[in-house]
Amino acid sequence: MDIKTVEYKNVDEVMYVHEHQSGLKTFVIPKKGYSKKYATFATHYGSINNEFSLNGGKDVIRVPDGIAHFLEHKLFEQKDGSVMDKFSKLGSNPNAYTGFAQTVYLFSCTDRFKENFELLLTFVQNPHITEESVEKEKHIIGQEIRMYNDNANWRVFFNLLDAFYEKNPVKIDIAGSIESISKINKDVLYTCYNTFYHPSNMMVLVVGDVEPSEVFSQVEENIDSKGQVPEIKRIFPEEPERIRKEYVEQKLAVSMPLFQMGFKDTIFNTKGIECLKREIAVKILLDMIMGRSSELYNRLYNEGLINNSFDFDYSIEESYAYSAFGGESADPFAVRDRVVEEIRNIKSKGLDQNSYERIRRAMSGRFIKQLNSIERISHMFISVYFKDVNMFDYFNVYENMSFDYVKKVFDEHFNFDNLALSVINPA
Amino acid sequence: MSTLLSESHVSQIAAFNGIKVFHIKSQKFKTNSINIFFHDDLSKERATKNALLPAVLRRGCEGYPTIRDISLKLEELYGAVFDCGVTKKGESQIIQFYLEYVSDKYAKSDANLTQKTFDLLLSIITKPIVENNAFKAEYVEQESKNLKEMIEGRVNDKVQYAVEKCLEEMCKNEPFGIYDYGSVEDLAKINAQNLYEHYKYFLETLPMYVFIFGDLDDGQIKYIIDGLSGIKRGNIKVVGKTGIESKAGDVKDITERMNVTQGKLCLGFRTNISPDSNDYYKLMVYNSILGGGLHSKLFQNVREKAGLAYYVFSRLEKFKGLMVISSGIEIGNRDKAMEIIKNQLEDIKNGNISDYEYEASIKSMETGIKSLKDSQLQVVDFYLSQHIIGTDDGPNDMIEKIKQVTKKDVVDIAGKIQLDTVYFLTSLE
Repeated sequence: MDIKTVEYKNVDEVMYVHEHQSGLKTFVIPKKGYSKKYATFATHYGSINNEFSLNGGKDVIRVPDGIAHFLEHKLFEQKDGSVMDKFSKLGSNPNAYTGFAQTVYLFSCTDRFKENFELLLTFVQNPHITEESVEKEKHIIGQEIRMYNDNANWRVFFNLLDAFYEKNPVKIDIAGSIESISKINKDVLYTCYNTFYHPSNMMVLVVGDVEPSEVFSQVEENIDSKGQVPEIKRIFPEEPERIRKEYVEQKLAVSMPLFQMGFKDTIFNTKGIECLKREIAVKILLDMIMGRSSELYNRLYNEGLINNSFDFDYSIEESYAYSAFGGESADPFAVRDRVVEEIRNIKSKGLDQNSYERIRRAMSGRFIKQLNSIERISHMFISVYFKDVNMFDYFNVYENMSFDYVKKVFDEHFNFDNLALSVINPA
Repeated sequence: MSTLLSESHVSQIAAFNGIKVFHIKSQKFKTNSINIFFHDDLSKERATKNALLPAVLRRGCEGYPTIRDISLKLEELYGAVFDCGVTKKGESQIIQFYLEYVSDKYAKSDANLTQKTFDLLLSIITKPIVENNAFKAEYVEQESKNLKEMIEGRVNDKVQYAVEKCLEEMCKNEPFGIYDYGSVEDLAKINAQNLYEHYKYFLETLPMYVFIFGDLDDGQIKYIIDGLSGIKRGNIKVVGKTGIESKAGDVKDITERMNVTQGKLCLGFRTNISPDSNDYYKLMVYNSILGGGLHSKLFQNVREKAGLAYYVFSRLEKFKGLMVISSGIEIGNRDKAMEIIKNQLEDIKNGNISDYEYEASIKSMETGIKSLKDSQLQVVDFYLSQHIIGTDDGPNDMIEKIKQVTKKDVVDIAGKIQLDTVYFLTSLE
């Protein structure tokens, strides 16, 4: 068995890698002394993949919104009942989540890792979907959708994406809508499954106090090579560079206005380390401009325009990228005006190199802190994996980031023509 | 290698002036943390003031008079993290100050992070900005406004709001009915002078618990203890125990209307069981069978069989001996959901507990308790809770006691649990 070992001495971590003949890669990050073992089986398929083609582009298929998430729910059903019961019998907690670009199945356990791991590998590879269970699931997911519809933080964020994008499917709720899921049936679920759940489109990650070679042996035993590798072409609609709308508003039962705003980025179709570099550069910039140590944050806070809920983030994937920042404010427009004014101000006087250095070091320290948590490691690892990036590269990118590059990204990203604002007002 | 397992042991390394200091020596994590807790009775007179205090203190201190100065310092210290806030554990109010920073090996050899971060933490707590024998008025006004927004903002998270509201309505006439962060009404009475007066009481008399987590050496520990000994303390207050009330009278039925699309149904129960009694472990198993996970009766029947909900669970408030069932449902399905929930409660009472439900419950709790050792904050919270309850049981003792609970014990416990309040959050007509 071929096992690759990669050491990350500066953060005291080691990663073991194994490639199965099907193309499935498995990663093990041992965490000595930890009680919990956390295993994930993920596919490069998420809510944004609602259009794709097979057979080298001949058949273009458009599937109902929310289907990746629906499939995630349905995989737990097996021929002999729900796989949740089997995990529960072992005392472990199975779970799954669907993101924009991936679907992730996982469990965490403290004992009987082997049995749990085999269960995970087996159930994800053996769907058993019936029309009857699909119909029942529509009610359960319907309630999940309603829960998110009443969740102001969720709505304010998706409304911002809707303001950014004309067509990009990232603007569509991950679970779809009650209307869109009504069109889902067994056949279309199997089509998606057969397209995106081939081992070559997937990955396995185990974090915890485990023996890597035993994990890889189990993968060897339990992964079915399934013959032909499907040739998947993910189709994304042409998306204009400009934002769709500058401002969107919704009314919900909230006590005061909630807002999210940000810049739609026009540079994103980078994979690998470039993608990570850009992500970190924008995050450093956001921290410099509006982090807690910034003058802007302190002015806004002192004037009562923002409170502790204020936060910021940047996302970059193969078909989109955007920054988003917000929280609660009695006057989101005033916050927007101040942000614009501050960025203009920095544009004219230039970025401060001292704060750049200080924030870069702080972010690197906070990255180390995340390595304490098995869940955080798993989550971070998977969130960058399908962009051809390794999570441990973060540390090197922090170390090797250059001020000139950050200046360049500053000029590119903060384009006022692409600034959108989303507000939830009290009903 | 023995240090690797020390998350199972906490050593009290010092006790003076009403300050108990604990050290959890561990090399497992890449950061160290220091948590300082102040412990008070949850009371209408002080809850809001206690909630406002950390918010004002975090605004600035001697040497670092603004949020910006504190943040700049934390960034310089390799991105150390500081936070503070309040929670309630039963009828205790806990005011927490938290600090986490990277271990020495990830910083330059002369970084002295333990000393420098602790100095900052201690200054934030003990050296606030004072003007004319009062807090800085501007800070108090702004934080009062923020706290008001936060209290009013509880409705924004409907899932959590429904659970808290159910329990508060249930305990309206007991201290537990007070929200962790106090009330808008009491906030209006607070100013820079009376809050500063309260601060003196807070710092001088409230019992303090300090948890140091990480691989610190004797010199670093001594530095922290010396710093804590310098805090001027007076007569230490004796904090009361949470009263476990039993229920009398009819079930309260409360409906609240808002602009929502999903109904939130919550049922509040009195368990009549105190967390330091042996019955408490039986109650834990009872709760797990009822609604403590995917194996539970509520999940299996309300969600998997009837398809009525996406989420449904039961949860204990162990300090006060309460239990709450919570679920998000189609508004028109309220009665149907109620019936299924009541059937599950009856089933346990009648001993209809399958081997699967019983065994999966015990194992799931075992996994949960073992897992908490992987998080510094969870370990600290565990030991703090045990101290407040007054039990010495560590995680392993807990697991042993849970394993001894039988199905019959669970059925016996079921007889003690009384429904007190049904709360339903629903749409505007």
